[in-house]
Amino acid sequence: MILRRLGRSGATRSGADQLLDGARGPRNATPAADSPDRLAGLLRAAAAPAREPELAGEEAALAAFRAARQAAPAGPAPRPRRRPFTTGAVVWIAGVAATATAGAALAAVRLDRPDQPSVPPPVPVTVSPTPAPTGAGARPNGIGTSPSVGVTGLPDGVDGPSASGAGPVGGEPAATSPAPTPGLGEPDPDATVQVGPGNSSNTADRAGHCRAYLSKSERQREKALQTPAFNELVVAAGGAEHVLAYCQQLLTEVDPAWLAKHGPTPAPSATGDATS
Amino acid sequence: MTGELSQAVEAAQAGDEEAFRFLYRSLQPGLLRYLTALVGADAEDVASETWLQVARDLPRFTGGEFRAWVVTIARNRAMDHLRRQRRRPALSVPVQELSELAGDADTAERAGESIGTEAALAMIASLPPREAEAVLLRAVVGLDAETAGRVLGRRAGAVRTAAHRGLRRLALLLDQRAEEETAAESPGPPPRPRTGPSQPAPHAEPVDG
Repeated sequence: MILRRLGRSGATRSGADQLLDGARGPRNATPAADSPDRLAGLLRAAAAPAREPELAGEEAALAAFRAARQAAPAGPAPRPRRRPFTTGAVVWIAGVAATATAGAALAAVRLDRPDQPSVPPPVPVTVSPTPAPTGAGARPNGIGTSPSVGVTGLPDGVDGPSASGAGPVGGEPAATSPAPTPGLGEPDPDATVQVGPGNSSNTADRAGHCRAYLSKSERQREKALQTPAFNELVVAAGGAEHVLAYCQQLLTEVDPAWLAKHGPTPAPSATGDATS
Repeated sequence: MTGELSQAVEAAQAGDEEAFRFLYRSLQPGLLRYLTALVGADAEDVASETWLQVARDLPRFTGGEFRAWVVTIARNRAMDHLRRQRRRPALSVPVQELSELAGDADTAERAGESIGTEAALAMIASLPPREAEAVLLRAVVGLDAETAGRVLGRRAGAVRTAAHRGLRRLALLLDQRAEEETAAESPGPPPRPRTGPSQPAPHAEPVDG
């Protein structure tokens, strides 16, 4: 009966199309006038709105979306191949950076050394060699997080640039990483006593501290050196009494113009000259 | 609908998680029903594989019919799955099972239809594979004949023909069911209550013939 009706008219094709198109349409939309109701009902039932169990995979799909997003900022290079290279490179960079800064610290200390042979400043010296390994060891850990993203997300997720991006980025933190480590991991009692909580061996900071210090009057300077803000400077200089010399030396290197303007302090510079 | 969808696609490409959720909710039901006809009980697995790939490849989607793109992924996944299983993409549901499903009055009532979603899908899945696919892509997933043809690698005309044949076959099946119901109701002393999904065996026999 239905079949006959469906097959009889010349517009069967379009009638069928209407039926098919109407299946997902609004419920109350009346199907084509001559369309068999039961067939339309069947198609509408087949295209009925989502039922709860059908959407059971929603959270999994969203998780996949998130994972893909995290891995996405990268480009299309196979990660597994590149990882060994990048980790190696980052370890290398970290090692080089640590060594370089260690050398600088060493040099800085050496310059001050002749002044006072019996003072504690072994701190920077002994500390700096150790950070090299720890700094290098820390890098791979940091990198280890990004591969894990790829693993959870997509087995064949391919994002070289994110991995390679860690290289250049890793270089910068690596330069500073040796400094925090002494505070964190060094059991050296001297270090724990002298090294303040939030110190970074950023030379620019030191220069700033030095300018601040040198701007003060003689009396203020003494007080200032007892505050935590200048603690770092004291440590760097190797003692409160060496701060002046240290700062002048530092600023002649870093910012001689400022020193020329602000630093007409004859007495300390004399001692500085004498020592060097 | 399509405008909403393409907006959501753009938002999801920009990283909007809620937009992706919207896409999932819009497409998943039709996708799952289509996949059920292709791979049967494994449809959910194939569907989640599909969404995994959709999530990953979304940045590379460059426009066009998003539903067609997703369905193409799903179909490829299903074919891979079948190849792995060395099965043919035909789900032949025994007619007996069909008539049992046809009695799922709960779903039918809830949907306000004379027939439940499960039963309707099972009937469509019992069609020859090409016809079943054509009907499902057109009516359930909501693709037009041209787009469905692209997904299936066939011409739009071929899809129309297959869908039309499928509809005729479905109409025939429905006719048989209707006749059988009236036959059961008028002469038989006890009108069989069509409440439970588990109909007694005798009910199935006339359908077979």
